[in-house]
Amino acid sequence: MASDTTSVAPTGWRARHAGTIRQWRLYAHLFRRSFSSMLGLFLVVLFLVLAAAGPALAPYPEDTMGAVHLDNRLKPPSLTHPFGTDEMGNDILSRVIVGTRTSLWIGLIITGVAALIGVPLGIFAGYMGGRIREVIMRITDVFLSVPGLALALAIVASLGPGITNCVIALSLVWWPGYVRLIDSKTLALKEELYIEAARAIGARTPRILFHHILPNCVSPLIVKASMDMGMAILSAASLGFIGLGAKPPSPEWGAMISVARSYMPDWWWYALFPGLAIYLTVLGFNLFGDGLRDILDPKSRGR
Amino acid sequence: MVLFVGKRLVLFGFMLLGLLTIMFLITNVAPGDPAKLMAGQNATQDMVETIRREYGLDKSLPEQYAVYIGGVLRGDLGRSIVSTKPVVDELLRYFPATLELVLVAMGLGILIGVPFGMLSAVYRDSWIDHATRIFSVSGVALPAFWFGLLLQLYFAVHLEWLPVSGRLELITPPPEPITRLYLVDSLLRGEFDTFREALQHIILPALVLSFPCLASILRVNRAEMLEVLQSDYIVAARANGIPAFRIITVYALKNAMLPTLAIIGLRFGWMLGSTVLVETVFDWPGIGLYAVQSALYSDFKPVLGVTLLIGFCFIFINFLIDLAYGWLDPRLRTQ
Amino acid sequence: MKKFVMLGLAAALLSTAALPAAAFERVGDRKVIVFGGRQQVPVIDPHVRYDWSIRMMQQSLYDAMAKYNGNPAKIEPWLAQKWESSPDAKTWTFHLVKNAKFHNGDPVDAEAVRYSFERGLKLNKGVAWMLKDVLDPSGIEVVDAHTVRFNLKSSYAPFISWIPWWYIVNPKQVKANEVDGDYGQKWLTENAAGSGPFKTKRWEQNVLYELVAVDDYWKGWPQGEKNRPAGIIYKIIREPAAQKAALQRGEADIVEGLTPDDYDQIKSTKGIVVQSHAGMTTFGIKFNTQTGPTKDINLRKAIAYAVDYDSFVKVYNGAAILETSPFPQGMQGHIDVPERPKQDLAKAKEYLAKSAYPNGGIELDYYHVAGLEEARRIGLVLLDNLSKLNIKVNVTPEQWPNMVAKGSKPDTAPNMTSVYVTPISTDPDAVAYQYHRNAWGQYFAMSHYDNPDVNALIDRARTLGKWEERAPLYAEIQKKIVADQPEVFGMIQNRRWAHRDYLKGFAFSPVRFTGEVDLYPLWIDAK
Repeated sequence: MASDTTSVAPTGWRARHAGTIRQWRLYAHLFRRSFSSMLGLFLVVLFLVLAAAGPALAPYPEDTMGAVHLDNRLKPPSLTHPFGTDEMGNDILSRVIVGTRTSLWIGLIITGVAALIGVPLGIFAGYMGGRIREVIMRITDVFLSVPGLALALAIVASLGPGITNCVIALSLVWWPGYVRLIDSKTLALKEELYIEAARAIGARTPRILFHHILPNCVSPLIVKASMDMGMAILSAASLGFIGLGAKPPSPEWGAMISVARSYMPDWWWYALFPGLAIYLTVLGFNLFGDGLRDILDPKSRGR
Repeated sequence: MVLFVGKRLVLFGFMLLGLLTIMFLITNVAPGDPAKLMAGQNATQDMVETIRREYGLDKSLPEQYAVYIGGVLRGDLGRSIVSTKPVVDELLRYFPATLELVLVAMGLGILIGVPFGMLSAVYRDSWIDHATRIFSVSGVALPAFWFGLLLQLYFAVHLEWLPVSGRLELITPPPEPITRLYLVDSLLRGEFDTFREALQHIILPALVLSFPCLASILRVNRAEMLEVLQSDYIVAARANGIPAFRIITVYALKNAMLPTLAIIGLRFGWMLGSTVLVETVFDWPGIGLYAVQSALYSDFKPVLGVTLLIGFCFIFINFLIDLAYGWLDPRLRTQ
Repeated sequence: MKKFVMLGLAAALLSTAALPAAAFERVGDRKVIVFGGRQQVPVIDPHVRYDWSIRMMQQSLYDAMAKYNGNPAKIEPWLAQKWESSPDAKTWTFHLVKNAKFHNGDPVDAEAVRYSFERGLKLNKGVAWMLKDVLDPSGIEVVDAHTVRFNLKSSYAPFISWIPWWYIVNPKQVKANEVDGDYGQKWLTENAAGSGPFKTKRWEQNVLYELVAVDDYWKGWPQGEKNRPAGIIYKIIREPAAQKAALQRGEADIVEGLTPDDYDQIKSTKGIVVQSHAGMTTFGIKFNTQTGPTKDINLRKAIAYAVDYDSFVKVYNGAAILETSPFPQGMQGHIDVPERPKQDLAKAKEYLAKSAYPNGGIELDYYHVAGLEEARRIGLVLLDNLSKLNIKVNVTPEQWPNMVAKGSKPDTAPNMTSVYVTPISTDPDAVAYQYHRNAWGQYFAMSHYDNPDVNALIDRARTLGKWEERAPLYAEIQKKIVADQPEVFGMIQNRRWAHRDYLKGFAFSPVRFTGEVDLYPLWIDAK
C-alpha cells in the first residue's frame, strides 16, 4: 500500500507515512490501555528472550544436554537449584529455560507450516468459488471433524514417537483452520467495490490476490497465528506427556512432566515448574493475540 | 425442508467416508508390526505370520481397505490385536465412562460459564469483566494434564478430600448396568454410597475437562449478551420500567442462548478429544485411555475406532446444529 | 453467584464423605487379597499368549505337569507325579497323579494332556515356539489314563524345562465352546477350563480381575485350609504414585512397579515390606555386529571399557547386580567370566585407537523402548560416558513393535539397542541359543552375532543327556561370547514388590517374569 507512488512529491519519511504512524500510535495506545494485553506482551517477550538467550541464562547449561549427576537426584528447590533437580540430578530451572527454545521452534514450525498450506488453499477456494471451493472446503471439513489432538495421536502413533513426528502430525492437523479463516475473509472481500473495480480495469488474478486480498487478510492472520503459537506449544506438550513427544535429553516441557508424573506426589517440584512454563507461555500468546484482535479487528471482540 | 435435510444427509455420509479413508491411510503408514508384539518375544516368523493372517494384516493395503470399509458398513470396526476382541465391543464398554465424564464436565461448563458470561457482559469493563477475561483465557491455556496432576496433588494427596484416580474405589462393584453411567445407575438402583463414591471420583477429572469449554462458553455468552443488551427491544423494555434483573435473565439470556448452544455442541466433540489427556491422568477407563494405550502398542484398529467414534459424534452434532439453524432461519435452506 | 452455591454444595457433599477406612475385603470369614498391578490381562488362554500378568493368571487358573518353585528355581512334580526320559533324551514318559480334577469335576487324564499339547502346537501361538521344532502332535501318545509319552523328533535335553509352561486345559469344556474350529480360543480369552487353585469371578477388562479360591483344590493349600484366602483381586493401577497411595492406605495388599525411589522411600514405612530379589532378566546394550561402525570389534571393546558399570546399578538405586557373563547368575552352568570389561578409560582409548575411528567423531544411535525409564536413563549415562571418546550418542525412544521390526534385520538394526531379556526356563540352552545364528530376527538377537564355533558348541550341548557333559561346553560358550563383545553386558535388576507386613506366603522364584507372583501360597495373617 505504502509503495504506491503519487504525483505529489513526498517530504521526508515521517510526512509520507503520517497516516500509518497515526494509525499505529492509536493501536499502541489501545493496546497499552488493556492490562491483559500488556500482560500477554510481557509474557511473550519474556518467552522470546529466554528462547534466544537460553543456554547463556541457564545456571547449569550442561544439564540440558543429558549430564548425569546421580548423587544429586531429586533435590527439592533450594538456592543452588531454585526449581530443584530431576531424577538424573539435573537442574530443573536450566532445563525449563532451555525448553523455551524447543517450544518456540515447535510453535513456529507448526503455525508456519499450517499457514503455508492453509492460506493459499483458503485464498484459492474463496476467490475461485464454485466446484473448486466445494472440494477444498469439504476436505477441510473432514479434517476439522476430528478434534486435533485425537487426530494427531493417531498420526504420531503410526509414525512413531519423537519430536519431528509430533510436529509433522500437528502441522497436518492445524492447517484446516487457516483455510476456513482465509476462505471466509476472501469471500467477503471479493464482493468489495474496489476489488470489482480492479477487476473491471483489467487487473489479472494474481495481482488481485497479492495486492488486494492478501494484505487485507494479514491482520486476522496475525491474530490467529499468535493465538495458535500458544495452542501448538500446548498440543505438542500434550503429546509429549502421553509419551509420544520429544526424546531425551533435549528438554521438552511435556516430556518432562510425563517423566515427573511417576515422581508425584513426593517430588512435586519436578512436575510443577515445567507445567508452569507451559501455562504461562500459552497464556501469554493467548492474551497477546486477544489484545491484537481487539485493536485490529474490533468487531469480533469477545468471540 | 426435505431437500435441505437430504442434502445435509448426503454431506454427512460423505464426511464419514472421507474421515474413514484419511484415518485408514494415516494409521497404515506405520513401520511397526503389532503382530510381532502380540506373537510374543520368542515367537518364530511363522508364528507371527499365523497372527498376521488371523487379523488380515497379510493382505495388500487396498484389500485391507476394502475389507475395512465393508466391515464398517456392517457395523464392524475390526479386532484389537492386543485384546483379540472386536473393537466395537470394546468401544461400547469404554464409551459410557467417557460419556459420563463429558456430560458432567459439560454441565459444569454451562453452570459456571453462562452466569459468569452474563455478569461480565452486564458489568462490562469492570473488574469482574477483566478478571473473567483472564480467567477464561487461562482456561484455554492450562495444560489439562498438568492441571490434573496439581489438583490430584492438592485435593487427593494433600487434603485427602477426593480420590486420586479411577471411577470407583479400588474394588467397589459397579451398579448393575442400566445406562452404564455409574451416577445414573447407582441412583436408579438406590445405591447411594456408590453414587457418592462415583461423584467424588468424577469431580476432579470433570473439572479439568470442563475448563477450556467453560472459557469458550463464557466468552460467547458474554459477546451475545452484549449484543442483545444493546438491541432496540431491550432498550424499549428498559424504558418500560421492567426490572433490570428480569430483563437480563428472561429477555436477554433467552436470545443469547442459541449461539451459546452452538458453541456447546462444538465443544462437545472437542471435549471427547481432550479425554485422551484427562483420562490418562485420572486413569479413567474410557475411550481416551483406550486410544492412548492402544497407540502405545501400535494397535491401530482401536485408535482408528476411537477417532471414528469421536468424529462421528462431532459430525453428528454439527449436523443437528445445522438442522436447527436451518429450521430457525429459512434463508439458509435455499443456499 | 451460582458458583458459590455450587461450592457450598460440593463442600457439604465432601464433609459428609470421608474416604472409606482401609479394611480387609472379606467373603464370609475369609479374606480377599488385593494385588495392584500396572499391566492388564487381555487374554488368559494358556496357549495363545503370555506375559507376566497373563501368566500370573494362567498359573493360578491352570496346572501344568510340573511347576517351577524356589530360588534357584527347581522343577517340581505337579500334575505328573514322576517322569523319565530315554538316555538320548528323545522319549519322555510322564505319570500323572490320580486325584487331580478340573473345576467342573472332570478328572485330569492323559487325554487332557495330549489334547492340551496338541492344541498348543496347532494354534502356533504363545508357547508353541518352545517345542514346535522337536515335537509333532502325532508324537504324543496316550499310554493309559494316567500315562502319557512324548516321542520327540530329535534329542532334546531341555525338554523338561518347558513343561511347566504348558498348562493343561479340559478338552470337554473347550470342545463344547468351539466356534468355527477355533479350538475354543474365543471362549478361553476370558474364561478358564483348568484345574488350578483359583477360578475366575469378576472380570472387568482393564479395571479389575477377581479370582476365587477353589474349595477342594486337589493339591490342598500350603498355608493350611484355615488360612487360605477367599480369593485374589488383581486391580489395574497404572500409575506408580497411585499404587503407592493404595498400598499406604491399605487398599492394596501388594503392588509392583513402583519407581526405585519409591521403593527406597517406602522401605522404612511401618507395616510395609519390600521384596527385592535378583531375577534372571538381563539388560544388555546390543551392538549391531554386522553393519555400521559397531561392526568393528575394537570400537565395541572401546565402548565396553568406557561404560561406567556402577551407574547401571545406581540407576536402580543399588537394587541390581552386574552381569558377570552372558548368562544370568541364577542360571544353571553360569560362570564368572574373568576377562569381562570394567570401566577403564585408558584401555577404552587404546581400543579406539586400533579401530577405524581412532579419534571418535562418530554418532551412534541408542534405541530404547519408549516409556522404559531405566533404559532411557542408561542411554543418558552412555551419552555421558562416550562423550569422553568423542562419540555422540543419539538416545531414541521407540515403541516395542517398531524397535523389534528394525532390529530383525542386520541392515536396519540400530547401532546400539537396549534390550531386557528374561529366559523362560532355567536350562542354559534358553540363553545360549540367543547367541546362535538361528536366532537372527528375534529381538534378543539384534546384535546379529555369528560365531561358527559358538554355533557348533550350542548345537552339541543341547543333544547331550548328562549335565556333567554339558556344563564345560556352556563355560566355553560364555567365554567366547564375552571375547567377541556383541553387546555391553549390563546388569540384572532386582525384581521388587512392596506389600503389607500381614501378607504372608510370598515365595520368590527367579524364573518367573518381572512382576509375576505365585498367588497360590499367599495369605493374610491378621484379624
